[in-house]
Amino acid sequence: MSANLKVERLRKVFSTGKAAIDDVSFSVPAGDIVVLLGPSGCGKTTTLRCVAGLEHPTSGEISIGPDVVSAPERGILVPPRQRNLGMVFQSYAVWPHMTVHQNVAYPLKTRGTPRGERNGKVADALELVGLSDYASRPVTQLSGGQMQRVALARSLVYQPQILLLDEPLSNLDAKLRLRLRDDLRKIIKKTGVTALYVTHDQAEAVVLGDRIGVMRDGKLLQMAPADELYNRPADLFVASFTGASNLVEGRVMAREGDFGQVDAKSGEKMSVWLPAGVQPGEAVKVAIRPENVRLGTNGAAEPNTFRARVSGTRYQGTQTVYELAMLGATIDALELGTRVRFPIGGEIDVVLPPVQCWAYPAQQTIESE
Amino acid sequence: MAADAAVASGVESIAQQTATKAPGSRGLLGWLWSAGLMLTLAFLVLYPVAMLLLGALTNTNPVVDGFGVFDLSVQNFSEVLANPNVHAALINSLVACTGGTALAVIIGLTFSWVVVRTDTPGKGFIAAASMLPLFVPPLVAAVAWSILASPKTGLLNILLNTVGIEWRFNAYTMTGLIVIFGIYYAPYVYMFTASALRNMDPSLEEAAEVSGASAVRTMFTVTFPLIAPAILSGMLLSFIVMLGIYGIPAVLGTPGDIAVLTTYIFKLTAWSPPLYNTAAAVAIILMVVTGFLVWLQHKITSRRSYTTVAGKAFRPAQLKLGPWRYVTLALAIVYLLVVVVLPTLALIVAAFRRFLFIRDLASLFDMRQYGLLHFERLFANPLALRSIWNTMEVGLITAIVGGVVAFAIGYTINRTTLPMRKSIDVISTLPVAIPGLVIGVAYLWAWIGLPGGLYGTIWILALAFIARFMPDTVKALSTSLLQIHRELEEAAWICGKGLLGTIRSIVLPLARPGVIAAMTLLFILAIRELGSSLFLYTSNSMVMAVLLLDYYEGGNLGITAAFSIVQMILLAVLISVANLLSRGGSGDSSGVGRAG
Repeated sequence: MSANLKVERLRKVFSTGKAAIDDVSFSVPAGDIVVLLGPSGCGKTTTLRCVAGLEHPTSGEISIGPDVVSAPERGILVPPRQRNLGMVFQSYAVWPHMTVHQNVAYPLKTRGTPRGERNGKVADALELVGLSDYASRPVTQLSGGQMQRVALARSLVYQPQILLLDEPLSNLDAKLRLRLRDDLRKIIKKTGVTALYVTHDQAEAVVLGDRIGVMRDGKLLQMAPADELYNRPADLFVASFTGASNLVEGRVMAREGDFGQVDAKSGEKMSVWLPAGVQPGEAVKVAIRPENVRLGTNGAAEPNTFRARVSGTRYQGTQTVYELAMLGATIDALELGTRVRFPIGGEIDVVLPPVQCWAYPAQQTIESE
Repeated sequence: MAADAAVASGVESIAQQTATKAPGSRGLLGWLWSAGLMLTLAFLVLYPVAMLLLGALTNTNPVVDGFGVFDLSVQNFSEVLANPNVHAALINSLVACTGGTALAVIIGLTFSWVVVRTDTPGKGFIAAASMLPLFVPPLVAAVAWSILASPKTGLLNILLNTVGIEWRFNAYTMTGLIVIFGIYYAPYVYMFTASALRNMDPSLEEAAEVSGASAVRTMFTVTFPLIAPAILSGMLLSFIVMLGIYGIPAVLGTPGDIAVLTTYIFKLTAWSPPLYNTAAAVAIILMVVTGFLVWLQHKITSRRSYTTVAGKAFRPAQLKLGPWRYVTLALAIVYLLVVVVLPTLALIVAAFRRFLFIRDLASLFDMRQYGLLHFERLFANPLALRSIWNTMEVGLITAIVGGVVAFAIGYTINRTTLPMRKSIDVISTLPVAIPGLVIGVAYLWAWIGLPGGLYGTIWILALAFIARFMPDTVKALSTSLLQIHRELEEAAWICGKGLLGTIRSIVLPLARPGVIAAMTLLFILAIRELGSSLFLYTSNSMVMAVLLLDYYEGGNLGITAAFSIVQMILLAVLISVANLLSRGGSGDSSGVGRAG
């Protein structure tokens, strides 16, 4: 039923000459959920639409299970309706002139499923998404969240090999988004379908995805499970996009295995994690997440302990962001809790754990084009 | 601190201003203004319609008896409803309009789909071609087609004869009427469906495709059902216009003795003695049917639209037609040929040829047969010159008076909180449901019996046109008024300008392109209007459209064609001026449309 999806060296060049997707390769094992994450215009939706067959790639190969569905160089282009996949659109795309039942039954009708079997499957799908009581309603009477559930039922009712989801939650309000986000993963996992999910929302990606692929300017930068993405970002863009907002400039002085020593511009020495390929003598930017900055020491002498002055605080209710003047820069540190522990102007010791300080070549940038 | 003081006094004066009252709300002047507008509307719309109703309910002859005696009875209606001639006319009307509408839907829907959803080359050209028929006066189109496809002397039939084909075109049949209706009123369907297709979220179709539906199945189960309200709306509108049109059935129906409601009404008033009461009764039936259809169309258009807008900007997906895209292009070219090119050529041939009798193809290209004879004879007739002069005069009066009245109404409805503005809105929209011909009969009833009145002057024509095109003008002006942000006016009030001063210094300059466009539109509509002129002209107030029909009915196709060309050139010049003035604004074409 559910099949693995394989995308190899996919390229899509628009008529303007700009490459929307540039040499993207990845695969999704059967039953897994992979999320493509990136800012708008990074090519994630185009990639998804190429898999759906709604967009025609320029080159590269896409296969679903054993079948190659798209290989322009070999003249293979299977139309969407023959790819046996389900798709959920950002705008829901439920048909307003039909009832909930008619919407969900539509794909079965096009497949010529006999009425009895069809009704059973529609009922099952509606139960799966929690809309059993709404079958006879016109979809126009539903809320946005319910419409998206109809769209989900419609795309699952024929047990497709692959489920594609194109920012399915971005048109919903914040509260509904959180609920449907959790439900979505449960429902997808229950059916066991292979899923490819596109979003620009990190939180969504982390909750939903077995693995997350970060894209930028048509390139897939890193595809990994969420914890790897957050603890070992492949480059400066991934680090910064996933929230490592503090940057300290410096130069690599020595390397020892995966770690090394960096001299910050202000003169202090830091122990940092070094990705493969970064050599002594290279100018680097050290990225640190605000959540990984530890305020105060536990007494023992730890590496990367620095003296910092609190230059400002941003109280956010359940957490506080401290602006720390240190290492010749302003470093944000985030601490959970409703109490502000350090006053502005005070001096404190700050620990930057070396495993959570990542040094990237300085020429890498954090903006997408 | 001088600056502070100035600010403080500024604030104070603002406070005073708001404390007195916002301009354009109530007060005695406001009441007077509203009452004035209501009186104007009553004079233009309500009184003639009331008189029409009265006429239908009595047997008084307004010319002979004046308005002394009123025997109210529904006898006219019961007679009319029992009259087999009325039945025949009604059935003919319904058949012609239904057939014409069906053809219009096929053509309009096809071209809107071709333009919005396919990769056919030259789509800009096709889009323009699909709208062009709106600018051909229906009377002129009908005349041209009678030159092309009359059974004996039609140019197309001469062509068929030369190539040895037995079959003949015949425009003087029900089929001919249906085809001419269908091809000239397809733009209504096109306008509605093209914009609906453009606004449709493409993912609705993509979802069907991903669900396993083929392109054809998607079209019939998703695309067309989704734009069904737009199709229905365009259908009803074209039906309404066909039902109220006089020129085409008068030209094509009369030779074959096919009477429709409009031609039948005119026939009643042309008998001697004229049956004004019966005409009024039939006109009211026509008005009721039209009113019902307009109401239905309004219901459909105001219902929540199916076309949902997605979160992100989209452009409609385009179907790659492959070699078929040249077929669709060819279809559009054929349409343009049939609707514009052939009729124009026919008019030119007929206008410049001494005798329309053409033995064979060689004779068609024999230059010795051509000359300015018909134009010379046309301009030698003082009535022709007078009709051109009258038409321009009527057009000018209609444009200026109608424009001013419509601006006053549009501003009152959209920009003030004056009393009675809801009623003003409703009454000014009322003429939408009254076919031009019915307005003509109503004005006839309203003024023919009053001695020394309007009847027989060009003013009655102008007033009838103002009433008839009031909804279109008010709507066009309201659109341009609504584009001026309210705060621009409020800023002027704050600066101390009064209401009139604000209108003069802020609203009028900003709305000027819209006002000028609306007035030009009125001018154009007025000079081509036939239906209501028929009942209101006298030899002193003869207008072009009526005289053109007279020439046609007198059997002189040469002069008719020459006069048609004169009228077309005049219109073309005016439309280009209008386009220049409104700088490519296309919002007004619907107005040209409804006038038929």
